[in-house]
Amino acid sequence: MTDFIKIMQKMSSTVADNWSGFKVHMLKNYGENPGKMLVHTGTLGWILSSLAQVGAVVFNDKISPEQKSFLIPQEIADAAINILSFYVITNSLKNFGAKLVSTGKLRTKRIRNFLEKNDLMSKVGKLDFDVSKQPNFSPIADSYKSFKNGVDVVTSTVGSVISCNILTPILRNEYASKRQKQTIAKMQQHQLNNIQHPRGISIDDYQKLASMKFSSSGNSALRI
Amino acid sequence: MISKVFSRLTNSNFYKGVQKNVRRFEQSALDLLPDATFNKNKTVGLIGDIGRDISSAENRLILGVSALMSQPFIDAKNKDVDEKTRKVSVCRTIAKIVAGTLTGYAIRKGCISAIKNWSQLPAKGIPRYKSLFTPKGARSTNSEAFKQYQNAMGTVVALVVMLFTNFAIDAPLTKFLTNLLVKQTGGDK
Repeated sequence: MTDFIKIMQKMSSTVADNWSGFKVHMLKNYGENPGKMLVHTGTLGWILSSLAQVGAVVFNDKISPEQKSFLIPQEIADAAINILSFYVITNSLKNFGAKLVSTGKLRTKRIRNFLEKNDLMSKVGKLDFDVSKQPNFSPIADSYKSFKNGVDVVTSTVGSVISCNILTPILRNEYASKRQKQTIAKMQQHQLNNIQHPRGISIDDYQKLASMKFSSSGNSALRI
Repeated sequence: MISKVFSRLTNSNFYKGVQKNVRRFEQSALDLLPDATFNKNKTVGLIGDIGRDISSAENRLILGVSALMSQPFIDAKNKDVDEKTRKVSVCRTIAKIVAGTLTGYAIRKGCISAIKNWSQLPAKGIPRYKSLFTPKGARSTNSEAFKQYQNAMGTVVALVVMLFTNFAIDAPLTKFLTNLLVKQTGGDK
């Protein structure tokens, strides 16, 4: 009994330590960087919703194992497009926005005065140059941080709008229409085989399949 | 194990080559752009306010509104599918955006405000659950960093909540709105 209590105490203290560590990690990582938070939580959101989509197919009893073997990789490919395009575009734009501010390319009047006063204008726009790492930076630190956070949020929001609302739907439509055409071609091939070698079907079904062979324009199967 | 793989990857010639090219590209992009100074205090203040006040909930709302202005038109111009499919696909896209934005915004906003309530500094008279989300060593709840922490933690909690609401609210609401829109536009014929 005492062993059990000891184990439980150890477990609860481990959980408490991890929870405490997680909170400190969140504060350190995202407290000073709201743009990074938007990119990371946005990507996590895409991953979780993609998992839900894949899970909906995996655990759906109404879908046959044959259909699942086709649908699951399809959902995973769809998820990969969503997650990758979101992360790559949003993160790249956010990083570029941050570079514009840290190299002094994009600045406020106060930052320009600081750069001019410290004779740093010639270094502006160089990748290795970082305004926040210069000596005498502390008087403008707060206003610089506030400006940088704002630019970070704007660029990550613009990035997510471009990736989620423009690029991803175009890529997805392209991919989905290709997939649809392949599926229709497969179905028609299957139906044709059935007409040529009818096995175990009723005369009604045979007549239906035969009429489909001669009248199908291919579009009837496109309904979603 | 993971850190070993990671350090091997970052020390590989391929990675270094890619990094070098990315830096070259970044420098060229920086050189192309002219310098810009925001002189007006109002503009600088607005940019600062955006960084302070736009949380993931507002971000989701912006995404939803801009999605309504772009995605249905992209679907409507998709010539690779027939007219019937196109029509249903536009209705479904609108329904998905409306349902996703409404639930996404409300849940994120609700969770962020709950975390703000439950991340108070421990003190006499404050129940323990109200400091459940307070990180160790936090000295003030009014600092900029702490507010961003509350936004981040609220968003993470919201994502977990949305794992369930995706099925419980989003999916049926999307289905209902799709059927409604298809019916309003004359059915799927």
